[in-house]
Amino acid sequence: MSPTLSRRALLAGTAALAAPLAARAQKPGSVTAAIYPGAWEEAFRDLVAPALKKSYNIELEMQALFAVDQVAKFAASRGAPPFDCFVLDPGPRATALERGMFEKFDASKLASRAAIPAALVDEWGIGCNAQVVGIAYNPKKLPKPKGYADLFKEPWVSRLGLTGFGTTFGTVSLIEIAKIFGGSETNIDPALAELKKVLPKIAAVSSPAALPGLFQQGQCDVTYTNTQTVTTLKDRGVDIEFAVPETGATTFLTTLHIAKGCENMDAAYKYIDTAVSKGVQDALQKPPYNFIPVNKEVALGKDLPMRSLDEMSKFVTHDWSKINPLRGQWIDRFNREMAK
Amino acid sequence: MSSAAALPAPRARGAAAPALSPWGLAAPLGLAYAAFFAAPLFMLFAVSFYADEQMTRFGLDQWRRFLFDSFHWKVIADTLLLGLKAVAATVLLGFPLALVYRAASPRWQRVLLFVVIMPLLTSVVVRTFAWIVILGREGVVNQLVLGLGLAAEPLRLLQTELGLVISLTQIEMPLLLLPLLSVMSRIDPNLMDASASLGASPWRTLFRVILPLAAPGLAAGCLLVFASATTAFISQSVIGGGRLVYLPSMIWQQAMIAAHWPFAATAAIALLVSVSAVIAVIAYAGRVAGGRVHG
Repeated sequence: MSPTLSRRALLAGTAALAAPLAARAQKPGSVTAAIYPGAWEEAFRDLVAPALKKSYNIELEMQALFAVDQVAKFAASRGAPPFDCFVLDPGPRATALERGMFEKFDASKLASRAAIPAALVDEWGIGCNAQVVGIAYNPKKLPKPKGYADLFKEPWVSRLGLTGFGTTFGTVSLIEIAKIFGGSETNIDPALAELKKVLPKIAAVSSPAALPGLFQQGQCDVTYTNTQTVTTLKDRGVDIEFAVPETGATTFLTTLHIAKGCENMDAAYKYIDTAVSKGVQDALQKPPYNFIPVNKEVALGKDLPMRSLDEMSKFVTHDWSKINPLRGQWIDRFNREMAK
Repeated sequence: MSSAAALPAPRARGAAAPALSPWGLAAPLGLAYAAFFAAPLFMLFAVSFYADEQMTRFGLDQWRRFLFDSFHWKVIADTLLLGLKAVAATVLLGFPLALVYRAASPRWQRVLLFVVIMPLLTSVVVRTFAWIVILGREGVVNQLVLGLGLAAEPLRLLQTELGLVISLTQIEMPLLLLPLLSVMSRIDPNLMDASASLGASPWRTLFRVILPLAAPGLAAGCLLVFASATTAFISQSVIGGGRLVYLPSMIWQQAMIAAHWPFAATAAIALLVSVSAVIAVIAYAGRVAGGRVHG
């Protein structure tokens, strides 16, 4: 067997030898992004970082920080931003916006711009994941509830699991409940009054982190939560279905922003562009991440309560600049009213 | 188990060795404590004296808000009471085990010690979530109770203080047993024989000889269990649920969700002071009980 060397193989070999030199010659840029610890960090390390490296030869460095920590860390850094990009839920986003922590955002710099619905982009940032909140129930144990009002009646009330104002999904659900009983975005008293009436019957009042576990163990069979939790539990074989309440599903965005004083604007835009690109959003929608995509070119999963992203404009949204100043008191109120 | 035996004997190497004072040797740890414990603690105190959420001016507002509210006093009382209940339950179950350990052969002592330490090898989060499976509505306990026909409805164990104390008893048990066992194994067996030959009943020997001799270890164990149970944020929030409010979860909510650091700092200091006060009492009681024998 004589070694033959085709022209193609020779070229490939030369290219392979030259590759490290070339890589060193054009030193890769880098971008530092704050990211939520846990599933988000994992997802971005697995999907966004390799895609960013491949498309733009930019290294992604991540700082695992919850939304409030990002705001606190930025505030403490006084002018020298500790990271280039924020990832925030609506509450902390409103706080950061008020305190002038963002650079203006120019969506026309994104290659994926056309594929993102206009409602998800504004002059300060862009949505990278949507959450849709409604009712989750166990179809083997309970009939499908029509809306939040049903949660206060048998057979649902004695199987109800509750969480307070600690999470965004908990806060918006309690607001929706308050609205049914005559309250509003800024008045949650009716929700607490109604909850108090049925409190002895309720199956569980839980911390948000423990609720999926309680549902899985049959401690409660109906609760308000997001589609992501429902899909994740369903993948694990839990009997759970998502029901859109008659008053409408609630939605909110997780958004990406460029930190004020960022010196790496080009890399920051490329990072954001990669995070909302079709390939990454498609992969994020799959288990185990189960994100709701923001890219119109991605086909929506069958368990989601809408067939296109445009339908989401009909969903209920809230004004967090009004909610934020009240949320601390609400948390306190919830503790007091629910305490034994 | 003697820790002194494990250390190499100090070797005299003549005048050539540089003289190192114990203070010098302790300096690295001391400096680390000063930088990473004392300084943050001081900052915590300072933050609690900010009057407003944005931390722009000083004042006693947060302290007034905390102290002049009966709800907060109830939370403090509930937190301390939870710690005392966990201590009582661990002592009630752990002390007999320590007596068994003392009487056991060295081989069985090793087995027992391994059994005691084993829970420490799994994380507290895992142990806590395991208790959801055990205490839940469809959990092991309820399946047994319903299967035996002892109750028609599943018992409510999760999200109750009883369930929380049960799980804390298991979770904190090693903290009681480790100091207790090390003291127990050092009690001279001849003392028991002497007590018996002087006509004391086994109960009298237990209360007048063993208990006082074991007091320092018991007090150390109680201290650890109390401090750990009152601050067991994960177990309290996962097993206890939202209707049982304790200081650690209140601090977390204020610091992490409401982003109200001055109030969170105030609550954190309240936890520190109240837990320390009870710990001081337990330590004093242990010294008095031990002193009756040793002094």
